[in-house]
Amino acid sequence: MLTAAPRAAAPPVDDSLELAGVLPARGPFLGPGPADAIGVDVPPEFNGHDYVVFLLRVAAEIEHSLMAQYLFAAYSLGGPSVPAEQAEAVRAWQETILGVAKEEMGHLITVQNLLTVLGAPRQFDRDDYPNVSPLYPFGFRLEPLSLESLAAYVCAESPPEWDDEEARRIKAKAQADTGDVVNRVGELFEQLISLVERPSVVPDSAFQARTVPFQATWDEWGRGYRQGQRGAEAMSSLDLPAPELVILPVGSRAEALTALRAVAEQGEGFETPPDENDSHFRRFLTVYRAFEALGDGVGDVVRPLARNPTTGDTDGGDAVDPDTPTTITHPEARLWGHLFNVRYRKLLTNLSHAFELADDPSDATTLTPRGALIHRTFSEMYNLRAIAGLMVRLPVSADEPDGPRAGPTFQMPYTLALPSAEADRWRVHRDLLDASDRLIAALRTASPSGDGPDYLAALAQWDDIERGHVEQLIAVPAPSPVPSPVPQP
Amino acid sequence: MIRELRVLPPLAIARFGAAPTPMDNYDATVDPQRPLGYRFLRPAETLQVDPATGEIARTFVPSAVTFTENGLVRPVAPFLEVWALTDDDRLEPLTTDLLAAEGASVADLTWRVEVANRKVVRRTGDDADLVTADTGDVTDHVVHPLSGTCPNFWPGKAIPFGSVQFIRPTAAHPEIRLRFTPGRGFVYGASRTPPPAGPPADASVRDVVYDASRGSWQGYRDRGPLTTVPGQIYALDAQGASRGYLDDGCDGLVRVTLAVSGRNLSAFGRIGVGPPAYAPDGLPVRTVADELEQALLGPAPAPEEATLEQVEETVRRVFETVRLMNTAAMNVGGMAAHDVGEGRRREPIMARALVDTVALEQLHMSVLLALRSGSAPWFADVLRDHDEVGDLTDRGRRKMPALMRGADGRHLTLTRRQVALIRALVRGPVFPDADGAADGGTTR
Repeated sequence: MLTAAPRAAAPPVDDSLELAGVLPARGPFLGPGPADAIGVDVPPEFNGHDYVVFLLRVAAEIEHSLMAQYLFAAYSLGGPSVPAEQAEAVRAWQETILGVAKEEMGHLITVQNLLTVLGAPRQFDRDDYPNVSPLYPFGFRLEPLSLESLAAYVCAESPPEWDDEEARRIKAKAQADTGDVVNRVGELFEQLISLVERPSVVPDSAFQARTVPFQATWDEWGRGYRQGQRGAEAMSSLDLPAPELVILPVGSRAEALTALRAVAEQGEGFETPPDENDSHFRRFLTVYRAFEALGDGVGDVVRPLARNPTTGDTDGGDAVDPDTPTTITHPEARLWGHLFNVRYRKLLTNLSHAFELADDPSDATTLTPRGALIHRTFSEMYNLRAIAGLMVRLPVSADEPDGPRAGPTFQMPYTLALPSAEADRWRVHRDLLDASDRLIAALRTASPSGDGPDYLAALAQWDDIERGHVEQLIAVPAPSPVPSPVPQP
Repeated sequence: MIRELRVLPPLAIARFGAAPTPMDNYDATVDPQRPLGYRFLRPAETLQVDPATGEIARTFVPSAVTFTENGLVRPVAPFLEVWALTDDDRLEPLTTDLLAAEGASVADLTWRVEVANRKVVRRTGDDADLVTADTGDVTDHVVHPLSGTCPNFWPGKAIPFGSVQFIRPTAAHPEIRLRFTPGRGFVYGASRTPPPAGPPADASVRDVVYDASRGSWQGYRDRGPLTTVPGQIYALDAQGASRGYLDDGCDGLVRVTLAVSGRNLSAFGRIGVGPPAYAPDGLPVRTVADELEQALLGPAPAPEEATLEQVEETVRRVFETVRLMNTAAMNVGGMAAHDVGEGRRREPIMARALVDTVALEQLHMSVLLALRSGSAPWFADVLRDHDEVGDLTDRGRRKMPALMRGADGRHLTLTRRQVALIRALVRGPVFPDADGAADGGTTR
């Protein structure tokens, strides 16, 4: 991951390079270099193509981070203390935030397509907490939804022209909470657009159209959500706009710009045209205002989840400190946390592996397990949701049964790099099934509460089914019709 | 005092089979330790009838569920029972004791079974093509054949629709029952000249019964408003015209009358016949039972009627259905081909990579898996609404259930009630409210 190592030893910001970079004073590389022959500022140590790749990988990390944080925030809503008259509104806020998280998933996938077309390694990694990466809009935190966290989300998704009295108030609240100015995600995409649209920065030859069969499409990943098309359409169950997944394959500069603009507009649109869904900014602002109106009632609609829950050992931690991890010590919750992490890694491994296998409509003779990997990526999303639902009902601490609740851990694995041989990639899947198997056995021995036993029985069986498939693919490696155009790091 | 009678079940569907011994009873249940597996078939108490006496000779639980006998399919032969609604609003089985209490006896009961096969007449519109069977009044306990006759049949020819038998009550089995044994599942043919004696020349048919010189069924072609959607769902010759085949399926009414205390109480039930169950360990995603439930209870259930258990059952039936589909082929044939006439140029419905049957089945299993955690369903938006069956946009064609055709020739939907039950839960909390430590789990 870009900013992970060495986290503690990040070079100091070079103040002399703060003038016109994409994220001024936000990182060791991001200040502008001297204007060069291509007419734009590219930092030292980069050329134009490489700099775009760098920024895209930053964008991937950010989209991934936002997705995890928004999911955690959404899952924190609800619980036994929600007043009956507010249940419907709470459910709507929850679905609004889940919808934004799903759209961030679309952004993450589209950014992978952009990396792929530029012949660059894809980026499914992201920084873990505790994290103060200067590249992110704000430090990565898993925390229950609050007026303060909403302020940060609104600011991160905000458009540049948002500067009225309310804007200043929310920005101040966000800065007070996060300890710094919250960066606009849109700024990064604006910079990317300005770089990609110039052939002098990224030459035509950098766009490798032959990679399109390896890229993700809405057809494969859209799952019935809207195809980023215009035209407001309500969800069928709640009176909310249906999420639109922007998943665009990219084969050319024009398509790259279309994709970047679509992602940027979905985030920060200021004025919503009458026939379009609200931007993330608008949706968060709506929830913010509702939370503001709740006043002290916020506590009733949010589960008391510990902040930054982790299965790792920490130096104490504080369940209410936003910037320190909280070790889950409740035995059952801790096992669920481990299982959550394994399934999270499975999700990311499936996603990453799917990009290694082509689906070429012009080649009707070759089928790959790409479809199975795509389906399993979604299956793991369902698993994460299920395990999160079990965790938010358990205490985080063994010593405080009525204390803060545990929450989904979203801990990053030590690596997401895939082996180069296809059979070895399937062995990674088997390794993860083994790890899951051990945790399921431990949890079943620990006599989990509530719905845990039913879920674990089904999960064990589902893993058995997947294992059978994986063993077959290890034994008979799937032929790759063409070499992967993008070697993984 | 008996106020009214009922025949239960009100609709009994037999299954064809040529074996002499009817199918034994079984339950299809879910193994709680293998919740994603197919249902396992557990032998259940079975009534064995002695055809000669009409009595239930014994009851037993078979050691295994066996669907064939010497290579022949065992028919499903349902019992129809008479129940009595008494003055105290109790619905109870009508028995010899209850009859005696009313001053009546088994001799006061009369059955009559009238069935028909309307498959030809509903197309040709010729009343002389209606094949019917009527037992007349049945008061004894012998086997009564259901002999399907038709004005357009050759003289002396009939299609055996099976038989019925009024089960003789005994001290051990005092209930009032009738058993329907369906036809054997044969095909019958047509000819323009009187069929010669001996086996028919057409090896597909059991017998030649239809006089094609009088009726129009052989050589019939779909035309006019009676055409089914899709059309031509009968055996065709090389020229695309009907071969004149008929089958031994039928449906109709089973009536029972009780003469008691100067009153005639009566009730009726319905019988029909379906094909053998070749995947008895699963259920289709939408069944006649779903239609009946919607007709009976309405399309808009109250929110409290929706349970996670019902949603799980629907999802289970989805993957039980998917496993029987060649989804890769159906993605480009089936509805994809059907949509050609609507402006889609045989375009695949789903992305090619996604339609591997095994992978799809596992995906649907994982939906059930997640529901087992007690969390609410989330997939309401991908369900096709009843008024979206003609939506041929990419998104519309990909809604669920996908790749399947409804009775109107459009993309299949769940019933409005099935959809509403799922949506009712989607509107509720994502996770159960109660904390895990104090929670016994979600009610199933």
